[in-house]
Amino acid sequence: MNAAQVLNGIALGSLLMVLSSGLAMIYGLRGVTNFAHGALYMVGAYIGYSVARHLDFWLALVLVPLALAAIGVLLEFVFFRPLQNRSHMEVGLVTFGLALIAERVVVLIWGEKTLSLDPPAGFSGTTSLLGVDYPTYRLGIIAIAIVMAAALIVWLRHTRTGLYIRAASQDIETAGIMGVDVNRISLIVVGLGAALAGLAGALAAPYISVDPSMGDKFLITVLIVVVVGGVGSVGGAMAAGMGLGVIQTVVTVWSPSVSVVVPYAALVVVLLWRPRGLAGRRTA
Amino acid sequence: MKKTVPTAAIALAISVALAACGSSGGSSTAADSSGADASPIKIALIPPSTGALAQYGADGVKGWEIAAEEVNAAGGVAGHPVELIKKTTDGQSSTTLQAAREAVTRDGARFIGGVMSSTEAAALNAQLAALGALAFNATAKTIDLVGKQCVANSFHIVQTDLMDINALAATLTTMPGTRWAIQAVDYSTGHTAAEAFTKAAEAAGKEIVLQQFAPLNTTDFGSYITKLQDSGADALFAVEYGADGVAFVKQAAQFGLSTQFKTVLGFNMVSEPLFSVLGDGITGYYNNVGYDVSADNELNKKFVAAYTAKYGEAPYYVPADNYLAAMTLFAGIEKAGSIDPEDVRDALNDLTFDSLVGEVTMRGADHQLLRPSYLGQVVQADGGLAFKILDSAPASETTPTPSPDCKL
Repeated sequence: MNAAQVLNGIALGSLLMVLSSGLAMIYGLRGVTNFAHGALYMVGAYIGYSVARHLDFWLALVLVPLALAAIGVLLEFVFFRPLQNRSHMEVGLVTFGLALIAERVVVLIWGEKTLSLDPPAGFSGTTSLLGVDYPTYRLGIIAIAIVMAAALIVWLRHTRTGLYIRAASQDIETAGIMGVDVNRISLIVVGLGAALAGLAGALAAPYISVDPSMGDKFLITVLIVVVVGGVGSVGGAMAAGMGLGVIQTVVTVWSPSVSVVVPYAALVVVLLWRPRGLAGRRTA
Repeated sequence: MKKTVPTAAIALAISVALAACGSSGGSSTAADSSGADASPIKIALIPPSTGALAQYGADGVKGWEIAAEEVNAAGGVAGHPVELIKKTTDGQSSTTLQAAREAVTRDGARFIGGVMSSTEAAALNAQLAALGALAFNATAKTIDLVGKQCVANSFHIVQTDLMDINALAATLTTMPGTRWAIQAVDYSTGHTAAEAFTKAAEAAGKEIVLQQFAPLNTTDFGSYITKLQDSGADALFAVEYGADGVAFVKQAAQFGLSTQFKTVLGFNMVSEPLFSVLGDGITGYYNNVGYDVSADNELNKKFVAAYTAKYGEAPYYVPADNYLAAMTLFAGIEKAGSIDPEDVRDALNDLTFDSLVGEVTMRGADHQLLRPSYLGQVVQADGGLAFKILDSAPASETTPTPSPDCKL
């Protein structure tokens, strides 16, 4: 085991962290398992690909979350809000259908071919760190993910909106009775959750290859991360995402075929040990 | 009682609808057989439509489409028009088998093509006799398909791993690098290729310092690449396909892996449709080439012209091999003068015919098509990257004798 392998784990963990925090927020507030989260991530990667190819990669990191936030707002108004009194299973199935539709739409627009994007200028080579030459772009992902995670936690813990989100995630009805505008909070959370999925997709475009099934490949892992972290807990999901990324990479070094089952094994172990997940009911 | 009335009504409606379908299908068959026998040659195509291999699946179908259009324009094969029945699969054997059963029992297909992976092909082989259908395999490369998994109803059009490796083996001594690492996909083709390459490399006096397998649909190759860097290898043999191959090559470039290697030899990894995605970084990579698009013969020129006119790009091995699969089937039907699968099967044994890759023979002992293989290197050409054919090896040099495990 060397420093490069640890960094590999942290880089994968960073991506899982950004992706799972959005899913955890939506789950915490709406109680809905958003099966379209992988599709949002995939759409983010494709839009990021096009923006980076025609305009600029850094612009993509701004435009993609905005575009995905708009999609999130649409999801909230068209699906989550009208269906909020239906069973969570039904809404989950609706999101599952949306994911399938999104995948076909992406194939129609961008085709089935695998696409790839080069890292932005200055990030395509390697940087010497901890005695190893490590890809600069992966270090960039790690830095962006850590900044994003810190900002999100501070926002949730120290702002009024953050307080409302935490309150509504604990008990949405009581929060509503206490005067919190639950619809407004929900709009913010779903928009932000979708934006984070888009950010993860745009970051992933130069990291892994862009193809229509990229969302499916991550969705199950991210769902497991959210459950392991403690359903609805953003901080727990982030910690679980990073932990799982590192553990999975370490196991891959040891035995690639065993690494495939790591997320499932982690799920079983954590649920037996702490049935409510690592963080229990704490939102942030 | 109230509940049963609508149920009965629906059941009645369905049975009437089914009967209508059945009778219309029946009458058309009767009409066909009453005149000269012009019943269609029904070919089911079952490519993957999702996942890492989806693009290859779609391109394989294009090869069959060109072949079908060509013969239908000329009045069919032995007077029978060709009808393609397109199914899709997610690449899982169970889905593929289900699609095959549906195509045969419901749609009346008697011939099957477009099945992508070795695992699917092996599963299908086991069912062919029961289905009464013939399969033409143009992509799955594991040698077991003409070994212990061979069946009389399956024909292997594409070169096996061993044929490809044997084609590379002759030139391996001339490739720079003595300490080789193997990076392969963790399914049957990857393992067979790694095993065969190890033998060939050791025979050429090379050393294998690392061998590792990544599961299909791996997205992050970071930990594999770090291990390659730590292995001290100076040459790489890589077997990663589709989206996995793209991810591996791009990530390897970000790690600066290529500076470590004197030779990167891909195995079905680098191909024409991926050139633009993989970028100029693959210049100098070696790869086996199953089909030479610039082969100088009339049949190939006709195919390349038709394909390019229809799809706006030149064909590569997947559409070309599927086209060759269709040509093989049609040659068998011509010789048999029948579209009955058993007659076609018997006619194909040891049949020699002229094709886009030159004169080929369907070996009766194991149903492997005997055809040449090539070694190519990626070079900068006028229109971007292209394969330069460095060497070609005839079937007599590359093809092992039929496996004793194969009893047809």
